[in-house]
Amino acid sequence: MQLRLFYACTMEKCADQQGTNGRAAAFVGRALRKTYVTGETQVHALRGVDLEIYAGEVLVLLGPSGSGKSTLLNIIGGLDRPTAGELWYGETELTALDDAALTRFRRANIGFVFQFYNLIPSLTAEENVRLVTDISDDPMHPADALDLVGLAERRTHFPAQLSGGEQQRVAVARAIAKRPGVLLCDEPTGALDSQTGIRVLETLAQANRELGTTLILITHNAGIAAMADRVFNFLDGQIASIAVNEKRISASEMAW
Amino acid sequence: MVRALDTKLLRDLWHMRGQALAIALVIGAATATFVMAMGVHHSLTQTRDAYYDRNGYADIFVTMVRAPRSVVEQLAAIDGVAQAEGRIEQFATLEMPGRIAPVRAVINSVGDGGASTLNRLVLLRGRGPVSDKAGEVVIDKAFADANAVHLGDRIDAIIYGSRTRLEVVGIGLAPDYIWSIAPGELVPDASRYGIFWMGEKALEAASNRQGAINAVALKMDRGAKEAEIIRHVDTLTSQYGGTGAIGRKDHLSNAFLQSELDQLEAMTRIIPPIFLLVSTFLVYVVLGRTIRTEREEIGLLKAFGHTSASVGWHYLKFALAIALLGIVLGSAAGWWMGRSMTGQYAEYYRFPFLYYQVSAPVFLAGAALAFGSAAIGAMGGVRKAVTLSPAVAMSPPPPPVYHAGWIERLGEKAGLSAVGNMIVRHIARWPGRSGVTVFGVALSLGLLFSVLQFIDSSRAMLDNYFFRAQRQDISVSFIEPRNEKVLSELASMPGVIRVEQARAVPVMLRSGPRSKRVAIEAASSDDRLTSRVDAQGFEVALPASGLMLSRALADHLGVSVGDRVEVELLGGRQTSTTMPIASTIDELIGTRAYAQSDVLSRLSRDGAPVGSANLLIDHARRDELIGRLADMPMVLGVTERDAAMGLFQRIIDENIMSMMGFYIAFASAIAIGVVYNSARILYSERAHELATLRVLGYHRNEVGIVLLGEVALLVVMAVPVGCVVGYWLARLMVAMFSSDLFRLPFAPERSSYGVATLVVLAATTATAVIVARRVNRLDMVRVLKAHD
Repeated sequence: MQLRLFYACTMEKCADQQGTNGRAAAFVGRALRKTYVTGETQVHALRGVDLEIYAGEVLVLLGPSGSGKSTLLNIIGGLDRPTAGELWYGETELTALDDAALTRFRRANIGFVFQFYNLIPSLTAEENVRLVTDISDDPMHPADALDLVGLAERRTHFPAQLSGGEQQRVAVARAIAKRPGVLLCDEPTGALDSQTGIRVLETLAQANRELGTTLILITHNAGIAAMADRVFNFLDGQIASIAVNEKRISASEMAW
Repeated sequence: MVRALDTKLLRDLWHMRGQALAIALVIGAATATFVMAMGVHHSLTQTRDAYYDRNGYADIFVTMVRAPRSVVEQLAAIDGVAQAEGRIEQFATLEMPGRIAPVRAVINSVGDGGASTLNRLVLLRGRGPVSDKAGEVVIDKAFADANAVHLGDRIDAIIYGSRTRLEVVGIGLAPDYIWSIAPGELVPDASRYGIFWMGEKALEAASNRQGAINAVALKMDRGAKEAEIIRHVDTLTSQYGGTGAIGRKDHLSNAFLQSELDQLEAMTRIIPPIFLLVSTFLVYVVLGRTIRTEREEIGLLKAFGHTSASVGWHYLKFALAIALLGIVLGSAAGWWMGRSMTGQYAEYYRFPFLYYQVSAPVFLAGAALAFGSAAIGAMGGVRKAVTLSPAVAMSPPPPPVYHAGWIERLGEKAGLSAVGNMIVRHIARWPGRSGVTVFGVALSLGLLFSVLQFIDSSRAMLDNYFFRAQRQDISVSFIEPRNEKVLSELASMPGVIRVEQARAVPVMLRSGPRSKRVAIEAASSDDRLTSRVDAQGFEVALPASGLMLSRALADHLGVSVGDRVEVELLGGRQTSTTMPIASTIDELIGTRAYAQSDVLSRLSRDGAPVGSANLLIDHARRDELIGRLADMPMVLGVTERDAAMGLFQRIIDENIMSMMGFYIAFASAIAIGVVYNSARILYSERAHELATLRVLGYHRNEVGIVLLGEVALLVVMAVPVGCVVGYWLARLMVAMFSSDLFRLPFAPERSSYGVATLVVLAATTATAVIVARRVNRLDMVRVLKAHD
């Protein structure tokens, strides 16, 4: 019963209902399993994961390829469903939603940043941001979002006219423009050099700081873990350990 | 063993089976129409030629008022004439029990047992008539079928004013009556007009022509000059009231069949090229796209040592394989459609046998056209595959570059959403491919419109001829011209409201070396029941003096208003004079000439005998009147306008219903082929973007709009283009399908544009929705990791 009550909380409504370490939980997952069947072999991507992700924290998912971190990110983002287990976002049980409701969930709450930017080549920087603001309830002005990532001057440029770092910052602007509760970033600096990567991470940290957005990052770069509140270390489809950073460092201080 | 490259080809084809099938359907439509039209044309021509040959169809025909049998020998003696045969052609009115509408027949004399040297009778059942046995007749099969007349049945007939009981001893056909129509009628109606054959002596007696004939058929020596023989024949027969000899091409039965064959030939020249053009473009677009996506594989193949030629041949085979599928489907469909069409022809054209057979060269030519157009379409892509260097091919293609051009600014100015801009810019980025989609859909719409226009055109002709030009209820024609008293006799009959004389005088018009045998039709200025209506539907008044010629006749003679033509009277007083052409009229049917009644009377100087009359009647007393007319001696025919109109309408409807199904299917095949391929390419190009949109929180239907929006916009753009294409295509078809006998007006109903548009929209919408359902299969997870 206590558990149900806990699940039923949203960050806003139940600010007094505290998680184990005194912070509100954005996501609560219990016994999450994901099994892919490819041909005659079964791949156990997640093997019973329990987790709590706190509102407003910076969480880094670390681990080798195939350890299950991307699968978890996809399930958190409402792109995929677990084979078993429950996942709650505030009072919403994501694992019970149908496709249309999951889409509404993504539209309202989630901002995505991809490794390869995934900008629409036929749209300018500003129009790529508008793709999201067109369908959001209370978005920023696209120009303001671009301003936040330092690309106000480049708003009429097409992706082909922007550098990789600039493209990724447009992607970040696109992700934050709807003021999402959660930012999900899968290897956001994977295709960037260190200087550009740091610039992008600074932008993400800024969104976390100024908008209170929960930031969940997948990375292979252990150095990035230093900017997180907590780090989930994945191994073989399970969270092997959780590290808590007493003191976060800023992106500019991190060792790449 | 199948080579690895061929295995790849088969797998690629299987992988792209939807697109390959869509193209194959368009190619199939081309092959089908080609095989059908050529097959039917070939079958009809072969059948006709065999029939003409076996049954001695004559080369030259002449009719006279009355000539002694000796004229046959004189005509046979003309240089170049191989055979001559005289006969009697006598009209009769038949009394069919229970039938109010008049039924007529033309009775031809034949030798004992139905024998003759030319235009030989084919007996299907029974036997030929005994020459001197009164009343024995062979009747044509169509009449027998239409009226359920059987061997041994008896029919009462009025021949030359006296009642004779005919006995059906045989049912048959003859090569000079493959197609027939009662004089004065516009539509053949086997239930009301029969072709009979009677023994020579019996018909001589019945028609009061002992030792005399009124028609001669001639067979020419090989290589003889028709025009020269005709001139001699005319000279010899003028004293017997000859109405001018005609060759095969002017002989009604042959002329109609020939015009049908010409139409079929015109069809092969218009319709298959449209399909082939579309399939060429589709192959170009699809293969171009395939080769772009397989750049790396092409590089790999070349790096492994495959020659450029073998890589090029591999992709050419891809196109040829699709064409092969189209050829197989199209040939089968064409053969089947041709068979059903030939079956329909057998109802209108009376052959004793009808071989439906599509020769190998027709299939081969159809296949060659399909392979050729697919190969042309493949050229662009194959050239690209051949010239790609392995190093370049193995690096990914540069991403599409978009710049802020005028289209981009246009979208911004129009206040388009981001999705709207995606759609518009993608169209502008690939103008060639967008153009193919627009053009393909436009051609589909155009084709459908031009077919619909055909129906409108036939209806317009009906309207023009029956509603505007012919306002009488009944036309009465007489076996021989009567004097004017007959008009007042008609006027006093029950239910007759108005009587007008209708007169036509057969003449030969000459201008320099050109000549044409026509009948000058007379009308007086106070006539109300008939008028001359031009192609635009306007009434044209007769000139006070001189002749008015139909435009087709004026063109044939090479004369224009103000010129004079030589007018030679035929069939009676053989005099010749010249007359001025006072005006011309742009008419739909036939080559005709008109003059005021008094002008014609001065020309013929015969006291204006009445050959036929037009009546306006009280419909309540129609049955009574028809009964009285049928009893009137010397009445040859009674034509009811409404019945003729209804029959014409029925023929149009029957033809149209069967043809429309084919053409809706074919036009849809184009629209489906074009839209399916366009949407599939769009989907594969944009799958990554569409999945990204899904991740960003766009619902499936919203993502579907990005996909369908572009197709929809292109289809909408195609509609006005299609209307323009249809307009010109319809004009082209009208021009190509017109003949000496009639000219189709260009008279589309506005609704035809609408119906064509709706059919195309329905086909394209259904196709696009099928492709759009792929949005459900978008893999959002993969897009997070994958490069575009």
